[in-house]
Amino acid sequence: MATQESNDDRIALLQGTLDLLILKTLLIGPCHGQGVARIIQRQSEEVFLVDHGSLYVALQRLEDKNWIRAKWGVSDNNRKARFYSLTPKGRDRLIEKTGEWRRLTRAMELILDSGGGLKGEEA
Amino acid sequence: MFRRKRSAEDFRAEIEAHLELEADDLKSEGWNEDEARWKARREFGNLRAAQERFFLKGRMVWLDKLLRDARFAMRSLLHSPGFAIAAILTLALGIGANTAVFSVMNAVLLKSLPVSDPARLVYLRTSNPPRGTGTIDTTQTFSYPVYDALRHQNTGLSPVMAYVPLSASKVAVRYGAEPEEAEGDMVSGTFFSGLGVNLPLGRGFSEVDETNHAPIAVISYNYWTRRFARNPNVLGKTLYVNAVPMTIVGIAAAGFEGVEPGGSTDFWTPLQIRRELNAWGSPPQDGKLYNSNSTWWCLRLVGRLAAGVNRAQALAQLQPVFQTAAYVGLGGAPMQGEKTPVLSLADAKNFPGYDQQYGNPLHMLMAMVGLVLLIALANVVMLLLARNAARQREFSVRQALGAGRGELFRQLLTESLILVSAGGALAWCFAEMATRLLGQWAQIESSLAPDRTVLLFTLGVLALAGLLFGLAPLRVALAGRAELALKTSAATSHTDAGKSRMGRTIVALQMTLCVVLLVGAGLLIRTLRNLENTPLGMRVDGLVVFGLKPNIPSIPGGRTFYRNLLDKLRPLPGVESVTIVEERPGSWWSDNSDMMVDGRLPDQANGASRTVRSNVVGPDFFTTLGVPILAGRDFTDSDTAASPHVGIVNEEFARRFLPNRNPLGHTTGPDNGQYTMTIVGVAKNHKYRSIDEEPIPMAWYMYAQIPMVGPMHMEMRVHGDPLAILPAVRKAVQQLDPDLPLIRPITQRAQFATTIAHQILFARLAAFFGFLAVVLVGTGLYGTLAYRVNMRTAEIGVRMAVGARRGQVVWMILKDSLALTVAGVVIGVPLAMLVGRALASSLYGVQPLDAVTYLLAVAAVAVVALVASAIPASRAASIDPMRALRVE
Repeated sequence: MATQESNDDRIALLQGTLDLLILKTLLIGPCHGQGVARIIQRQSEEVFLVDHGSLYVALQRLEDKNWIRAKWGVSDNNRKARFYSLTPKGRDRLIEKTGEWRRLTRAMELILDSGGGLKGEEA
Repeated sequence: MFRRKRSAEDFRAEIEAHLELEADDLKSEGWNEDEARWKARREFGNLRAAQERFFLKGRMVWLDKLLRDARFAMRSLLHSPGFAIAAILTLALGIGANTAVFSVMNAVLLKSLPVSDPARLVYLRTSNPPRGTGTIDTTQTFSYPVYDALRHQNTGLSPVMAYVPLSASKVAVRYGAEPEEAEGDMVSGTFFSGLGVNLPLGRGFSEVDETNHAPIAVISYNYWTRRFARNPNVLGKTLYVNAVPMTIVGIAAAGFEGVEPGGSTDFWTPLQIRRELNAWGSPPQDGKLYNSNSTWWCLRLVGRLAAGVNRAQALAQLQPVFQTAAYVGLGGAPMQGEKTPVLSLADAKNFPGYDQQYGNPLHMLMAMVGLVLLIALANVVMLLLARNAARQREFSVRQALGAGRGELFRQLLTESLILVSAGGALAWCFAEMATRLLGQWAQIESSLAPDRTVLLFTLGVLALAGLLFGLAPLRVALAGRAELALKTSAATSHTDAGKSRMGRTIVALQMTLCVVLLVGAGLLIRTLRNLENTPLGMRVDGLVVFGLKPNIPSIPGGRTFYRNLLDKLRPLPGVESVTIVEERPGSWWSDNSDMMVDGRLPDQANGASRTVRSNVVGPDFFTTLGVPILAGRDFTDSDTAASPHVGIVNEEFARRFLPNRNPLGHTTGPDNGQYTMTIVGVAKNHKYRSIDEEPIPMAWYMYAQIPMVGPMHMEMRVHGDPLAILPAVRKAVQQLDPDLPLIRPITQRAQFATTIAHQILFARLAAFFGFLAVVLVGTGLYGTLAYRVNMRTAEIGVRMAVGARRGQVVWMILKDSLALTVAGVVIGVPLAMLVGRALASSLYGVQPLDAVTYLLAVAAVAVVALVASAIPASRAASIDPMRALRVE
C-alpha cells in the first residue's frame, strides 16, 4: 500500500504493468532495484508512483520466471547493490507484452475518443 | 524442490542497499543526511510487509502447514507414548509378517526365471514312460534318443535343451588344493543361448561344444560370488569335476541358478561322455552311459516355442517324433496293451519345482498372516477410536476456540499417517530379518531378498491401513459439535462412545479370527509332535553319515576301494561299527521296483502294488543302524563275490510275499531275473526314505556281490558326539584319494529330520502366528475394556453409592467380554472347521476335526478374554464412590 500524501499527482501502478516497465527499463542495460524505481519515476515524468516494496517482490517474481537474472555488484557511487539484467527469454516477453499493451491502449483510446463522450476531467 | 532459491537474508541485504542508494540520491538532491535516510525509508513503504510478501511467495505454504500438523501430531502422540508404541508395534508385527511371507512367496512362486521372454519357455512332460524303461521321474525325464530326435526338428520348439545333474546331490570338485562339493549340470550346447541367459563375463556354450563334449564350464554368479569372491581371473582357470579338468569359460547372469527343480546349480558343462561324468553320477549300466542307454529316461528337457508357433501347434509337430523316438531300443513299438506315452508342454515361466514343494504351505501361511494383519489393523482402529473418543472434549473445546472441522480432521489424519509410516518402516526392517530367517529354515537356496513387487505389496498394505485409520478420525470430525461437549459432563458425553457398537463388533471379530488361527496352529503342532515322536525303528543317536564319490575304474576296483575304506575307518578311535549304503536313509531316495520271489513275480490280491524299496548295503548294516534282525543274520565281511549271493528282507516283505512261511532260504531278485539271492535274514520294519512313510516291503542287496558299484554313503556308529569323528575320517579318506570330499556329512538323526523340515517350519510359524494373534487380541480387548471402564467411572461410582456390591460391578464388566467371547467362538468354530479341512493334506496322525485342538483353542481364547477383562474389572470394583462422583 502506498502511503503517499493524497495531494500527490502520481498514480499507483496498475497490476501487471509494473512487470512491463521493469523489463523495458532493463532493456537499456543492467540496473539495481533502486535505479529501476528512479528511472520509471523519472521517465514517466514523476507520474508513476513505484511502491518500492512491490518493486522488489516483482523483481523476485521475474527472476523466478527466469525473465531477468541478478547478481551482486558495485554501483556508480561505490555501494554494493544487486544488479538485474534481461535474459533472452525476458526480451521475448517484453516484445510480446509491449505489443499487447499497444493493442490495449489503442482499443481504450478508440472507445474513450469516440464521439459524444466526456472530454477529460475538466468538462 | 522445497528449498528456496534465495535466502531471506539476501533479500534483506538488497533492501538495505536500496535504502542507502536512495539516501545517496536524496542527499545529492539537497536533503541532509538524517532527512534523506528517513525519506528513503518512508518512500519504501512498509518494509516488514515487503519482507513478509517475499517470505510467503517463496515458501510453499502447504508444506509449512504440514510441518506444523506433523509437529502437533508428534506432540500429541508423545503425550500418550503407551498408545503410540502399542499401535506402532502392532502395525509393524502385522505388516512385517505379511511382507516376509509375501516376499518368500514372491521369490518362490511368482517371480519369473531371469531369462529373456520366459513366457515362451516350456518344460517337456510325458504322461508315462514306455514299459521296460528306468526313470528318474515318471513324467519329467526322457531318454537320450528322445532328446536327439526332438532337437533335430526345429519347427515346433527351437531349440530343445537337455539338462541333467552330474550327481543326485552334489558332485566332487576341486579348485586349487582342497576338494569340495558343488551342484553341477551337464547341458545342451544351446542351453544359454536358447534360454536367453546373459553371460556378463566370458562366453556360454555352442553346439560345437556339445558335439565335441568340450571340457569347459560356466559357473553361476552366486557360486562365483560365494566361492571366488567375484574374481574375474577365474576365467581360463581349471575346475576339476570328479577329477576331470574343466576350463572355466564364463559366468552366468546374476540371479540365474539353473532350471533344476527346487535347487540352485553352481556350474554347467556341455554334455560329456565319460564314465566319471555319467548322468546323475550313476555307474555305467552294462558299460553304457546315459547317451547310449536308450531305456534310461534320465534327461530333463526344456524348449523355447519357435517363432510364430503356439503351444498347440508345437505339440502337434512334436508328438509323432516323440512317440517314435520313445521306442528306440525297445523294439520300435509299444507292447500289446501298453499305453503309448503322450508328450505335453508345461509352463517354464517360474522357478521350477517350488510350486509342488512349497505352494500349499505358503498359501496357507499367507492366509494365516493375512488374518493376523486383520486382527492387528482392527486393534489399532480400536485404539484410535478409544483415544479419539476420550479426546472428544479436547476437540470440542478446540472447535469452540475456532479450529475448523477440516483442520481437526487433517490433524487426526496426520497422527494416523505418522503411526502408519513409523509402523511401516519398522515392519520393513522386521520383514528383512524374517525373510532371511525363513530362507534359512526352509533351506530355499535362491535369493529371497524383497524386490520391487514386495515393496509395492507393502506399500499397498500401508495405504490400506492409512485409509482405514483415516476413517476413524472422520467419525469424530463429523460427530463432534462445539456446544455439546462444553455444556455436558463427562458422564453423559462419553456414554455414546462407551457403548460403541463398532468396538464390540471388532472385538467379536478378533475373537473369531483368533479361534481360527489357534485351531490351525494347534492341528499343525500336533502333526509335528506326531512326526517327531514317530519311532524310526533304529537307534539313530550316535550315527553319522556322509557320502563318497570315488573314481571307480571297474567293478572289482570299486569293491576293493570300499573294502579298503572300511578297513581304514573301523580302527579309528571311538568307532563302534561302520557300514556302507547306496541310498542314504532319510534322504527321500530309494530304488523302487518289482522283485521276483522264488523265481516269479509274487501274486497280489486285487492288483495291489508289488513295489519293493531296495537298497545296496555293506557288512554289519543292520548292526550299525541298530535295526533288530528278527530271524537269520546280518551281512558280514565273509559275504563276497565268490560266496553264494545273499539278501535280507523286512517283515513287511515276508508278510506280503511269503505269508505264513519261514522266509529264510527262499530266493528273491530284480524283475529281469538276472540276479538271484537267497534270503538269509529278516529285519524289523523301519523307516527308509522319510519319517512319515508307511511300512512297505523292503529288500537289501550285498554290495560286494552285485554287478554294479557306484558312489556310496558311509554310516558310522561312534561313541560321543558323532560329528567329532569327521576330521579323522577326512584324513583317512584322503590317504585313499586326495580328490575325495566327504559329501553332506550329518548325523543320521538330523538327516531324518530333514524329511519333516517343511512340516517343522510350517508348524513353528503357525504356532508363532497363533501366539501373535492371542497376544494382539488380548491387548486389544484389555485396551478396549480398560477404556470403557474409565469412561464409566462416574456411572460405577453412582451405582456403588446407591448400594451395588463389588461382585456385581465385576460381573457387569466380565459379562460384557464373556458375551463377546461366546459370539466369537460361535462364529469361529465353524470357520475353523473349514480351515481344518483345507489343511487336511498337511496333517499327520491327527484329524481335521480333532476335538482336543478345538477345545484348547476355545479355552485359550476364553482365558485371554478373562485375563484381559479381569484387570479393568477389578479396577472398576475398587473405585471409591465419593472420589468418582467428586471428579465431575
